Amino acid sequence: MASEAVAHESEHHAPPPQVDADVVARELIATTTGASGRFKVWTWGLGIVAIVGVVALILKFIDEGDDSTKWGYVAAMVSFLLSVAGGAPMVAMAPVMAKANWVRPVTRIASLFSFAGIATLIMLIPLVAILPPLVTEGARRRTIWYLAPDYSPHFWTTLGLVLLLITGVALFYSAALPDFASMRDHSTGWRQRLGKRLARGWVGTDVQWRTLRMRIGMFGTFYFLILVFVNFLISTDFGQSMVPGWRDAIFPMYHTVSGFQAGVAGVVIALYFSRKYMKLEKYVHLDAFWSLGRLLFALTLLWVYFFYSSFIVFWYGRSANDIATLDLLIRGEMMYVFIAGVVLIWFVPWWILIWNKVRRGTGAMVVGSFIILIGLLLDRIRTFVPAWSVPGDQIHEKWLKVIPEAYWPSVFDILIIAGGISMVAVIVMLMTRVIPVLSVWQVQEFNLLAKPIKYIRGHATLVAKPD
Amino acid sequence: MTTSILGLFQQPEPAADAMDGLKEAGFDLGTFDVLTGTPYPEGAFGEHVPQHRLFRFPAFGAIIGFTLSVFLTSVTQLAYPMVTGGKPILSIFAMLIIMYEMTMLAGVIATVIGIVFESRLPNMKPGIYDTRITEGWIGVVITFDDDSKVADAERVLNGAGAVEIKHA
Repeated sequence: MASEAVAHESEHHAPPPQVDADVVARELIATTTGASGRFKVWTWGLGIVAIVGVVALILKFIDEGDDSTKWGYVAAMVSFLLSVAGGAPMVAMAPVMAKANWVRPVTRIASLFSFAGIATLIMLIPLVAILPPLVTEGARRRTIWYLAPDYSPHFWTTLGLVLLLITGVALFYSAALPDFASMRDHSTGWRQRLGKRLARGWVGTDVQWRTLRMRIGMFGTFYFLILVFVNFLISTDFGQSMVPGWRDAIFPMYHTVSGFQAGVAGVVIALYFSRKYMKLEKYVHLDAFWSLGRLLFALTLLWVYFFYSSFIVFWYGRSANDIATLDLLIRGEMMYVFIAGVVLIWFVPWWILIWNKVRRGTGAMVVGSFIILIGLLLDRIRTFVPAWSVPGDQIHEKWLKVIPEAYWPSVFDILIIAGGISMVAVIVMLMTRVIPVLSVWQVQEFNLLAKPIKYIRGHATLVAKPD
Repeated sequence: MTTSILGLFQQPEPAADAMDGLKEAGFDLGTFDVLTGTPYPEGAFGEHVPQHRLFRFPAFGAIIGFTLSVFLTSVTQLAYPMVTGGKPILSIFAMLIIMYEMTMLAGVIATVIGIVFESRLPNMKPGIYDTRITEGWIGVVITFDDDSKVADAERVLNGAGAVEIKHA
């Protein structure tokens, strides 16, 4: 077993005292009951907006289901929701693989986002019905599906998203087994019955803990592979293939990396609110925000790297299709949306997160995370709305000869966007009523492996790293 | 008839002492185990480390996948021979992609089956247990085929400082 000492700079940042295991179990299980009035009002409010959004989606499908040019905002929402709800569980996996101790109290809240994949799936259903087949009127549009059946993008994207949802839930469940056992032992009513049913006879033997680690590792790896695959399908089949002449090998990776950035931002926001309003300060230490801040900063810098790598090819290419693609996605009527997106997804967060003092707090971190999500939404809109605005009879051509007019959002689109975002929030909030928002056993493990110590004249946390 | 007893400890040190005591008293490895609410580092209690067989599953799956892929690519190309660019009918470079994909696919499927098998879940007979284990207490459970050694086990548990001993 190796160990390392993490020094804290001042008395202000002295590590908080440890909490006894029985208190951890009792207090965290208690967070599932007794929701505050404010929590209930927000849940009801967001739930109603989510339902209105689904109704708007159905009405839009009935009213405009035959015109693909009006579905850009729904495509942007699918991409946005995939980025946030799909990217967040990566926080529950990647740092765990690297044996980071700070991430233990954070993993549950990150994995809860897996359930929000339901919102992405709901938004995808009408879009799959409207996405044109590969061959229409004898012409085949340019896609990654060279000789595949006509409805390959429809089938594989749906399958990919369903698999992502299943794997995400499996990743959550693998890590939640010991907590269901805690609920079986210490909760009451339907939560106790649910805990008993889902704990599957968990008693905490050595073999059970070993296989738990294996399952987390296995499902985490599968989740990562499927997430990249689904990002690739959504970005190519629902983005690039809708625009004749848009050929960009970097765009799928750009889409994936910005999804990771959005996922971390989503986790920061959820962690901030649960820590503040569920009184979890003694379990979620500032250390978690510092580490998430570094991750967010790195991903914010990666965004500009991938964007620029992609952009420069078109800029210097100067072929007719390069110019048309830039006119459609960047220089045209969406130029101000593009600029706003760049400012909010990269420049402002970069300027906020570059300061050590900011990353060591929680307030500015959560503001930066909100700004990133707004920026990402604008970025997805400026990408997918122009792409879907290309008329169906032109998507088979070699390049875009006429830049279509921008499609501005209708009332339906605004309600769908509000509903989609609300649905993600309400799903995560409702899941905190089912299982503790912080993993009981991982908080206990965090306390087991990290000891606050006096280090010369300062304070430090001694972290054990078992292999 | 199989019986078991559970010694409960509030601290890990005496639980580790109990595990040592059981070994010294001649109890067979595998007849006693430690129950915890959080994963302690491996070997923290000097517990018996059961040998898992998970690594066999992906290896076995990969061999099956590779064999099938060689069969599939060879037989289809020989059944529908098409000379492309003067290359041989059985071109290894064209076959490699399918061979790689099928090897990986079978390896992954076998790994999932292996994890399910090795997890031993659901545990239909959880045996003796105490709810305080999920509150940080440590349980040392000993299983007997006959009752002759129960007194020895109790003596070891009490000697190590067990707070409570439960019988089942």
